[in-house]
Amino acid sequence: MTGNGKHLRRSVLLLLVISGYATASGQYVSDTLKLREVEVKASFPVNNMGFKRVRLDSTILIPRLDANLSTILAQYSTIFIKSYGNNNLATPSFRGTSAHHTIIEWNGITLNSPMLGQIDLSQLPVAQFQGVEILYGASGLSRTSGAFGGVINLKTNPDWNNFLHVSLSQTIASFNNYTTTLNAEVGNKNFQSHTRANFGTAKNNFPFYNDYSGQTEKLINGSYSQYGFSQDIFAKIKDRHLISARFWYNYSNREIPPLNTNIRPDHLEYQTNKSLRSLAEYTYIHRSLFVKISSSLINDYLHYINDSINAEHQYYSFTNRIRLDIIGIKRLTVKPGLDLSHDWVNSDAYNNQKQRNVLAGFIELIYKVTPAVTLSGLARAEVVDGKLMPFIPAIGVEYKPFSKINLSLSANLSRNYRYPSLNDLYWETWGNPELLPELSYGAEGGITWNWLNNSKRFFLEAELTGYYLLIQDMIVWSPSSASSAIWIPENISEVASRGIEAGINSTFAYWKSNLDLNVTYNFCKATYQKEINPNGSSFGKQLIYTPVHTLNASIRLERNRFYFSYLFNFTGRRYLGKENTEYMPGYNLSNIFLGKSFQLKDFNLSLQIEINNLFDLDYQSIAYRPMPGRNFGITIRGSFSRKSSQ
Amino acid sequence: MNRITPLSQALVLGVLIFVISSCSKDPIRPSIGPVDPPPGDSSSYTTGFFIVNEGNFNWGNASVTYVDNETGTPYQHIFQQANNRPLGDVAQSMKVMNNRGYIVVNASNRVEVVDLTDFKIIKSIDGFNSPRYIEFVDSTKAYVTNLYKDISVVDLRTLTITKTIKTPEWTEGMVKYNQYMFLTCIGTFSEPSSKRKAKLLILDTETDVIVDSIQTATEPVGIVIDKKLKLWVLCSGGWDGFSAPVLIRVNPDLRQVEKAFSFPGTDIPSRLNINPTGDTIYYLQNGIFQMPVTAAQLPSQPLISSGGHLFYGLAIHPIDGTIYASDAIDYVQDGIAFQFSSSNGILIHTWETGRIPGSFCFSETRNRKSIN
Repeated sequence: MTGNGKHLRRSVLLLLVISGYATASGQYVSDTLKLREVEVKASFPVNNMGFKRVRLDSTILIPRLDANLSTILAQYSTIFIKSYGNNNLATPSFRGTSAHHTIIEWNGITLNSPMLGQIDLSQLPVAQFQGVEILYGASGLSRTSGAFGGVINLKTNPDWNNFLHVSLSQTIASFNNYTTTLNAEVGNKNFQSHTRANFGTAKNNFPFYNDYSGQTEKLINGSYSQYGFSQDIFAKIKDRHLISARFWYNYSNREIPPLNTNIRPDHLEYQTNKSLRSLAEYTYIHRSLFVKISSSLINDYLHYINDSINAEHQYYSFTNRIRLDIIGIKRLTVKPGLDLSHDWVNSDAYNNQKQRNVLAGFIELIYKVTPAVTLSGLARAEVVDGKLMPFIPAIGVEYKPFSKINLSLSANLSRNYRYPSLNDLYWETWGNPELLPELSYGAEGGITWNWLNNSKRFFLEAELTGYYLLIQDMIVWSPSSASSAIWIPENISEVASRGIEAGINSTFAYWKSNLDLNVTYNFCKATYQKEINPNGSSFGKQLIYTPVHTLNASIRLERNRFYFSYLFNFTGRRYLGKENTEYMPGYNLSNIFLGKSFQLKDFNLSLQIEINNLFDLDYQSIAYRPMPGRNFGITIRGSFSRKSSQ
Repeated sequence: MNRITPLSQALVLGVLIFVISSCSKDPIRPSIGPVDPPPGDSSSYTTGFFIVNEGNFNWGNASVTYVDNETGTPYQHIFQQANNRPLGDVAQSMKVMNNRGYIVVNASNRVEVVDLTDFKIIKSIDGFNSPRYIEFVDSTKAYVTNLYKDISVVDLRTLTITKTIKTPEWTEGMVKYNQYMFLTCIGTFSEPSSKRKAKLLILDTETDVIVDSIQTATEPVGIVIDKKLKLWVLCSGGWDGFSAPVLIRVNPDLRQVEKAFSFPGTDIPSRLNINPTGDTIYYLQNGIFQMPVTAAQLPSQPLISSGGHLFYGLAIHPIDGTIYASDAIDYVQDGIAFQFSSSNGILIHTWETGRIPGSFCFSETRNRKSIN
């Protein structure tokens, strides 16, 4: 923000709040640059107060309305996704951390199950959110504790200029995969309503070569059906008060396919998930004060059945938040906050109902030392079930050495903790109520740069970050000395993760064409720093199923409403044991998209063809879990848009 | 800038990526990493012992390690190397007879029959219901216990399941006495320990009919026969510590429990074994315990204390009576196997194994005449 005076600052703030970015650092809009032919949003914001954030916007999401969050993150972020197959369990490993060290949020509300501490990314359909915000490492402290890897926030925001926007899409893809999505947004300058629905089914019976049986087989027991419905309402009173209410219901019923070595025609394993999420928010916007009060209730139900298990788990999460931004106390911005949450769980795996109460106090200070240097500090204190948790602070610094060059250097130091999940504490027979919280210490430094040429037809941005993360008292389930059948969680492990994340994005607008090139590379050396068992040989070895190298690249070319994208992904070797002998070899995957859209006044019709696994690679991501070969999808999408100002 | 059109750039990058991608067309499958080649055809698998590595459930990483007695060298992944395919998911146990190895692969519902000269598959027998152990009745017939539904009768000549003996419950260990097979039966697998009805089943090997049963304590996991032809049954008390573990002695003729020894402490005992002379039994309870069959009470101290190990498997050599034990470490890395002296518990050998070494199988077997 090269702001000159309070007026600009205020109007920027208003914009931010209204566009919903305000809970973040409040600096995003200045990174949005209008090109003559194409609007470019910087994925790597230069103003990040020393804490790294990346965002994936609707231009990435709209062509993938039939996909789920795991696909998006695997293709467009540096987060490694451990996937058991198409629409099957997918969990993130963010900077070498475990799945429960990544917090997934929906408009700032945690979706991770308090039971497991994690969430299955395959259960979050793209059709139900408009943008993804990724907060790396310590940056997540501004939202919650325990996100050692980071926070991924799924956002839905109103466009106050919208009068009517309706879109309907239908995808037909290989293996009897059908996905329908509907999005209806209607409103005026003071009121907006969003309705979204998605419905998908698939047989998912793709052919694969099974080494175990020595023949090509079709995947059995892999079908699923999933549907979701959401309604958001936003109201604005005199640009001062913003009221919103959202709810989202998601249902899925999926079969779980057997391991390649365990295939029997009568394989019985399936899971039903139902979740209802609701969120009400009130925001007050004033010149130097911003207040946000939110309250959410989540109900999540899971029913798992196999030959010997028939278990139901249900939880409720009630979260209440107050956030204040007090701006302009000289060069200081103060952002205090208070969170109060209550979870309760009824599970077949617990003796009785289990509850958790969390009271969290939080403050963020942003101090502009000089126009070039910004210091920020974050601190969070939490009380969980009456017990005071470790104090978790972070400090960040951002330095923009040049006034005319969009270059920013940033660094931060942080401490974080994660409270054990309810399963860790209370799982019948095996849970360990004596567990301590896990602790982490992180250091990070990065550089971000972007440049728009004079003709505003060429935009280039680059980002390079290095980090170090040490996790102590990490909770690991392992067999007890009393019996090999009894596994108990204990605070016995220690893990260090260090890595480099690099990204380059560019956009060209020449010859009536637009070309986007994106490359992200991730180096992550995550190692065991402590031997759980004195006879082990894991010390200093790479964590299992955690690749050291991952790379994503994409090219998108658009001309005359015709577009072509090529997505490339490289996933490096992943070890299958802590001693690092057996491994899954690295592999490359390529996907292409071809599309053409037709515009008739306010009506747009687009047709898209996608080819996944273009080179028909016969691969497994998780050992003995087959993945589909080359497969196809065709999507037809019609939309109608009219702005209220027109 | 003007000379390089976006199209040409895209083309160059496209070609580049195509080149990179086309390099890796090999199927992406788990690699066992750098391992020694197996002894192969020159020396067969008849002069050593096998370590059966269960692997992690639902990871498909079971394997067999072979240790040659002469050289003491462990050979890893011998099944996969000989047959060019994985062994499967959770290899529970293995037995040998007439130069053939029978590997019971629990979660893959299969018994792999291999030739001990080259470890190549002779036949993969399918159709089990979560098989646990195989026991030979004679050279033509074997029984296989299952977690669910039935006991399988296998014809060793045709290598097929010829019959199933219905039992709704989980059958586990087996010992043959005269014409009868005594099987431990833990109860219904899906039920908690409190509901399971544990017993010994007595199966007539001539008719394949269950003729009788004897009630036992909770979760009878192991059974052996001693030199006086008494059966010893180890009841763990339940994996969840439902009741106190008990070692019972059963008179197979009277079909009665004669004696019961209750275990002290909270550690759950497992892996009941007996030495070749049938006078000493062994089990794991954190450490390795040794007990003469004539003892009036359970030993209070282990012969070999755990000493930082998490002992998982235990076996007694069928000829020299030395003690073999394994440590699965933390179950997410390759384990270790040990050989100890049975007289003083001193460590003789250590070998590396595969993932979760659960049981041992010795090439040399001795069928004690007294039992058959």
